[in-house]
Amino acid sequence: MLPILQLGPLSIQTPGLLLLLGLWLGLMISERTARKLGNDPAVLYNLAFLMIIVGALGARLAYVLRYPDAFAGSWLSVFTFSPTMLDTPTGLLIAVLAGLIFLQRKQLPFWHTLDILTGAFATLAVAIGLAHLASGDAFGAPANLPWSISLWGEQRHPSQIYETLLAVTIFVLLRPWTSPSGPAGNRFLTFCALTAGSVIFLDAFRGDSILIAGRFHQNQVIGTLVLAASLFLRRRLAAPPAAPAAADSVGEDIQ
Amino acid sequence: MQKLSKNSLLFSILIVLLAAIWTTITAYAGGETTGGHIPAPQKGFLAPDIPLTTLDGQSARLNDLRGNAVILNFWASWCPPCRAEMPALQQVHNQFQGKGLVVLAMHATSQDTIDAAVRFLSNNNLSLPVSYDFDGIAIEKYKVRALPTTFFIDAEGIIQDISVGGPMSEAFLTAQALKLTGEKP
Repeated sequence: MLPILQLGPLSIQTPGLLLLLGLWLGLMISERTARKLGNDPAVLYNLAFLMIIVGALGARLAYVLRYPDAFAGSWLSVFTFSPTMLDTPTGLLIAVLAGLIFLQRKQLPFWHTLDILTGAFATLAVAIGLAHLASGDAFGAPANLPWSISLWGEQRHPSQIYETLLAVTIFVLLRPWTSPSGPAGNRFLTFCALTAGSVIFLDAFRGDSILIAGRFHQNQVIGTLVLAASLFLRRRLAAPPAAPAAADSVGEDIQ
Repeated sequence: MQKLSKNSLLFSILIVLLAAIWTTITAYAGGETTGGHIPAPQKGFLAPDIPLTTLDGQSARLNDLRGNAVILNFWASWCPPCRAEMPALQQVHNQFQGKGLVVLAMHATSQDTIDAAVRFLSNNNLSLPVSYDFDGIAIEKYKVRALPTTFFIDAEGIIQDISVGGPMSEAFLTAQALKLTGEKP
């Protein structure tokens, strides 16, 4: 665990730094893919920055709406530059919506753009694993194994290491720095399916899982649904287009 | 082509089925979540018990505050963001005193001097409860690596949130206090 990186007088939160690095590297990989396909990478960066800014604003607004009394005495606090006062799930949802609107307005091909961005998503997944390792979040279930780590008062599965290794494996399998093969959407949906699969597998070794009905791991249930949807959509996109209907033979005779 | 399509459909169904089976098997293996019973300085865990010592010799333990939510703030007089957020902590202490919330400023005495701390508190008219970590036990148990670090602990002793760095705004602290005490916003 390394939650804080001490550089002289500066204390840097390591998980945040790792996520920023992951985003930066991921966008570079996506930029390379975009260039290979003859797309303008500036559009990608515009999309990413729009989603980050709108997402952050949305997260802050949602937080303020949740606790209006906290801001009643000091409305200027709404504009405080602080990473703490954010409703992250709402912010993510708003960021995705903003991204979809951007894609539509710029008339960018939906699946093709997601294929290009898969490099960024796959890199971010590795960064998230490393960030979990640095912070001690997403910790493992208790286990006495030769490779167990001592964390939060017990010997545990090193689930953050499993998570990072699987994310790296998915990254290498996808080869996101190359041009995507197959129909548009194939690379992105493959990434979704593989990531869902890794979540389903890994959550069994987590010690902080949210349980449904006191038994089933919430992440595994959601992962199974995402896996099924990804595989279904992948097959759907790969299916050949329906052949055009044959000419009306009666009409041809009359002509 | 049709055979290939049928094979890929069967493969997809098999994968989803395996996922569902794994989900079910590992569910019955169950019981991996912490349940908040283990003391550790991490969200979802029981807040480690530490001694609370005032300058006039009074002592207690953090567990004695069970039943009240606690905002446990680690600070030092030489730390600029610690100093900047103290008035906000004082305000929240004033607002929530007697309403099921204790704001406790834990002075990192092992990394500072008592004189500097007392001078700072006096010059800024701060009267919130202050405990002094003479031996560094609290810093060690809570694995505090940067100042300020603040732990938001609910009435059952479970850490609900951790804030590293600062200064925290009064709005943020008030929102956290509302969340911990269950008061409607």
